Amino acid sequence: MTASVSNGRHRVPARTRNLWLLLLVVAALASSVVSAQYQKKPPDFGGVYSFPSPTHPEPRADWVRTLDVSLLVAGLGVAAWIILKRRSRDALLLLNIGAIAYFGFYRKGCICPIGAIQNVTLALVDSRYMISFGVIAFFFLPLAAALLVGRVFCGGVCPLGAVQDLVLLRPLKIPEKLDRALGWLRYVYLGLAVWFAGWGLHLAIGSWKIDVGRRFLICEWDPFIGLFRISGPFHMLAIGAVFIVGGMVIGRPYCRWLCPYGGLLSILSRVSWKNVVITPDKELDCGLCANSCPYGAIHNLRADRASCLACARCYASCPRELEHHGHPAGGGSLIQVQRR
Amino acid sequence: MIEKSTRRRFIEGSCRLLGLVTLGGTAGLLTERASANAVYQVDPGKCKTCDLCRTSCVLSLSAVKAVNDFEKCGYCMLCPAFMDVMSKPDEKGVPTGKVCPQDALKRKVVGKVDADDPNNNYYEYVVDEARCDGCGKCVKACLPPAGNGSLRLEIRYSRCVECNECAIRIACPDSAIVRVFVPGIAPAKHDL
Repeated sequence: MTASVSNGRHRVPARTRNLWLLLLVVAALASSVVSAQYQKKPPDFGGVYSFPSPTHPEPRADWVRTLDVSLLVAGLGVAAWIILKRRSRDALLLLNIGAIAYFGFYRKGCICPIGAIQNVTLALVDSRYMISFGVIAFFFLPLAAALLVGRVFCGGVCPLGAVQDLVLLRPLKIPEKLDRALGWLRYVYLGLAVWFAGWGLHLAIGSWKIDVGRRFLICEWDPFIGLFRISGPFHMLAIGAVFIVGGMVIGRPYCRWLCPYGGLLSILSRVSWKNVVITPDKELDCGLCANSCPYGAIHNLRADRASCLACARCYASCPRELEHHGHPAGGGSLIQVQRR
Repeated sequence: MIEKSTRRRFIEGSCRLLGLVTLGGTAGLLTERASANAVYQVDPGKCKTCDLCRTSCVLSLSAVKAVNDFEKCGYCMLCPAFMDVMSKPDEKGVPTGKVCPQDALKRKVVGKVDADDPNNNYYEYVVDEARCDGCGKCVKACLPPAGNGSLRLEIRYSRCVECNECAIRIACPDSAIVRVFVPGIAPAKHDL
C-alpha cells in the first residue's frame, strides 16, 4: 500500500482486485439466476392455470379399524365353535385360509397379538406412550379366549400359525423331552422382547459399550411377515424360508418353540374352561388321534391343554368322529390325515 | 377319563376368574390412556431428511412420500429439487443430472409456453408415488434459501399399514415422527 501511495497513483494490489472481481461476478451470476429462475412464491399465471392441491389420504376409517377387531372376535368365536362343537378339520381349514387372506395378506400381518406384547409393555412402562384401542383388543381378546376355550386363536385365527399348518406335509415325531426343552425358548424370547420393547439395552463393561434403544424385536424378526408383504429385509425372508421348509416336516415350529404369545396362551390355557377333549365315552381309545397329532400334544391318549394348538386333526382321524358326522370311517374328509 | 376332583375344579375356576379379572383390569387401565384416532405423521419442522424414512418402514417401499405443496412451490425452471444444479449442462444450459435417485419427481410445463426458451417457462412438479421411496433428497434440496420449502415428507395413510409400532418413529434420530389427531396435524398431547 505504501508503495502505491508514494507513486502518486491509486493502485490496488492484484490479489485484492481479483477477489473483488470474483465477488462481483458471483453476485451478478447469483442475482441473474435468482431473477431468472427462482420464484419466491407461485407465479401469476393470469388465469391460464389452476393450482392443483396436494392430496392427503385419510387414515384408515374408524369402521375399518372396528372391522379388524370384529373379525378377530368373530374368528375366535367361530374357531371355538368349529373346534369344540363341530369338531371339523375342513371347516377349520377354511377359517385358516380366511385368516391368512385377511390378517395375513390384506392387513400385511399388522396388527398382531404377538407384536402387541411390545406395545402393551411400552404402554405399561411409559405413561406417555399412546396405545391404540385396536392393539389393546388384539392383545387381550385371544388371552381371554384362552382362559375360556383354550388356544383357539392359535388354531383358527393366527395367520402365522395357519401358514405353518398349511405347509405341514409329513410331521416327524419330536421326542417329548426335546419338545419340552425347546418350548422354554418361547419364554426366553418373551423376556428379551419385553426387555427391548420397554427399556432397550444399555451396557458398559470397561471400554466395551452396547447401546441399543427401544426396539420391537418380535416385529423385526418375524418369519412370516415377509411372505405376507411379498418383500422384506433379507434376514426376515431367510428365516421365513427356513421355517416354511422346516415346517413341512416339523409341525408348527415357530408356534411351539418360539412364539412368545403362544407361551402366554399356553400358560392361560392350563386353566381353560373348555378345551379339546378326547374322552372314552365317545372315542375308541384306539390311538389314531395320538398318531395324527403333529404337535405332540396328546399324551396317554389325552389332549394336553397347554400344548394343543386346536387344529382338530385328532377329530379328523377318529373313526368314531367321522361316523358321528356321517362320514364313512376313514374317508370322506378333505384332509387325508397321515396314519402310521 | 378320570373326572377332575372338586378341589381341582375349584382351583382351576379360581385361577380362571383371577386371570380374567387381571386381563380385564389391565386392559381397562390401558384403555384409559388409549386413543382411537391418533396416527403417526412426519413433523416437517423437526425432519432432517436423514434417509431413515426410506430404510426403516416395515414396507419395502416406504409409506413415507415426498409431497409438493403447490401453494408454496415457485414452479421454477431451475428447480434445485428436480435437477442437480451442479451437474453438466446441456446445449441450452439446463443441468442434465437429476436429484431424485428414483426419478420420481416429474415436471410438466404449464401456463403460457415459450417453446424456444425453456428458461422462460414455468413447471409443475409432481411426485410419482409409485416410485418415490421417501429418501427425502428433494426435500433437502428444496429447503430455503435454495428453494421455497414446498416439498416435505409425509406418511401416506393410503399405504401405511398401521403396524404395531411405527418402525420409522423408533429409528428417527430427530423425533420427527409424531402422534397427530385426525383430522388436522396438531401434535398429540402425550407424545413420545
